[in-house]
Amino acid sequence: MTVVALDDAVKRYRTGGEVIEALAGVDFRADRGEMVTVIGPSGSGKSTMLNLVGLLDTPSEGTVRLDGRDVTDFSEDELTEERRSEIGFVFQAFHLLPMLTAAENVELPSMWDTARDRSDRAVDLLGRVGLGDRLEHTPEELSGGQKQRVAIARALINEPDVLLADEPTGNLDQDTGRTILDELTRLKRAEDVAIVAVTHDEQLVDYADRVVRLVDGVVQ
Amino acid sequence: MSRLGDLLWRFPSLGMAWRNLGRNRVRTALATLGIVIGVVAIASLGIAGVALQQQATTDLGSLANEVTIRAGSDSDSDGVTDEQVEAIRSVVGGAPVVPERTNSTTLSSRDGEEAFVSVTGVSNADALYSVSEGDAPERLRSGALLTADTARRLGIELGDPVTYDDRLYRVRGIVESDGGFGGGSELVVPISAVDDREAYDAVTVVAPSGDAAQEIVSRLESRFNTGDEEELSITNFASVQENVNSFFDTLNLALLGIGAISLVVASVAILNVMLMSTIERRGEIGVLRAVGIRRGEVLRMILTEATFLGVIGGVVGAAASLGTGLVIFEVLAGDPTLVFEWRSLRYLGYGFGFAVTASVLSGLYPAWKAANDLPVEALRG
Repeated sequence: MTVVALDDAVKRYRTGGEVIEALAGVDFRADRGEMVTVIGPSGSGKSTMLNLVGLLDTPSEGTVRLDGRDVTDFSEDELTEERRSEIGFVFQAFHLLPMLTAAENVELPSMWDTARDRSDRAVDLLGRVGLGDRLEHTPEELSGGQKQRVAIARALINEPDVLLADEPTGNLDQDTGRTILDELTRLKRAEDVAIVAVTHDEQLVDYADRVVRLVDGVVQ
Repeated sequence: MSRLGDLLWRFPSLGMAWRNLGRNRVRTALATLGIVIGVVAIASLGIAGVALQQQATTDLGSLANEVTIRAGSDSDSDGVTDEQVEAIRSVVGGAPVVPERTNSTTLSSRDGEEAFVSVTGVSNADALYSVSEGDAPERLRSGALLTADTARRLGIELGDPVTYDDRLYRVRGIVESDGGFGGGSELVVPISAVDDREAYDAVTVVAPSGDAAQEIVSRLESRFNTGDEEELSITNFASVQENVNSFFDTLNLALLGIGAISLVVASVAILNVMLMSTIERRGEIGVLRAVGIRRGEVLRMILTEATFLGVIGGVVGAAASLGTGLVIFEVLAGDPTLVFEWRSLRYLGYGFGFAVTASVLSGLYPAWKAANDLPVEALRG
């Protein structure tokens, strides 16, 4: 079942007087329980694509679908609600908040939902990524691989349909990168989420169910 | 986590704001210090104004409360007559009415020191004079009261005799110098000791307050003086009191204005600190927005940070101002506890209120800016 899709998506930027076409008509979909790796050199438009799929940005032309719904023309506030409930993010630089503990970082996306206490799920998720004994540690007390596990747990706290990973192994050594990818593979089945990983690291190809190669804003 | 922490996390904006402020303690402390100084400036200057006003009122003493009545220009007698005194008593109601006869004399000490004093003959001395030693009897029949300065200069102590009109009077009370216009050297003796005229030189009515004194003046005026006829000359210094009050109101406003400037400076500092910290955290706020934190939630979080600065600065500033106020009242009025009266205490409230308001206003723009940054832009840092 397709969770997220782009139909003929075009994204143009205006820089100075010049118009740059970062995406030139891309069709893309990701299904529940599969890991799609988008691979391409820098400047190929893969980050732009991830921003569209992650509802952080809107396309200049084309359609974005989430769970079959057309969300292209949603307002920023509506997009925020969709991101909150349907999408989880994992960043290359982890982007954990330094003043919060591991457990609090995992809870962060649901923190303002005071009606719903997610602390048990946060503890559970951290246990499942092997950090059950690091709940009260702050990010600076954790290694790079541990930080990325915390970030993955954070991405899953609101039970999203799709998990987006931007260079998830980019700041990690090869072995640690592998364990993170094993983790993602395990979770995609356990949580039944679509995982879209954007990278220029060929290592990710081994873990992908499907590989999308992007060059100059066009799927090859 | 601490109990305070647990409580804060029930309100995520409070918890997040508290942790964020804790990240750069030096910056937080300096921003708070600015607010503290602003609050202390406003509150201390306000309290100082109150203390000065209070001290000035005390210095003026009973002057404003007293109504002095003498024979008017159209009077038939050369003083205030017994009948007039009775009429005055009926007009003023319960306020003490003190008829006086005045004269002057020269007192001399044993070793030849001399002092020129005015002599006042009264019967109910307690209504007009407060003594620092001895007593001021309700009916002064024997003995005398002497102002403290004169007593000191002549080396006269309680119980010593003084001579007036060839008669000896034992000093039974030392009168505090009034400090106002009535101050000076004064010997108070029984009214029978001064002259034997029928009329009195003056009658003093002691009203409970300056306002009551003015009310009495207008009643006496309408009773005794009609049209151009001035049977009695009636004077009161309440208008002096009014001028003093109005002067201090202006002074207080000016002092508060000066204090407010420092709080404006402090709020600009908060604006700067909040703006810097949101720019530094731009990427982080982008992450918050990416993972689904709403714009309003980001706005509340940052506004809460600014409010915390104001509240902490306000509380510390109010406490420091209370301390300053105790010192001010101790120095100016000799009684530090006067600071706990509402008219002083309210300046602590003003200072605190200004601090919180200024901080919230300073936080508005940075909070709005951070909340409305597009997440995709913010994530680029």
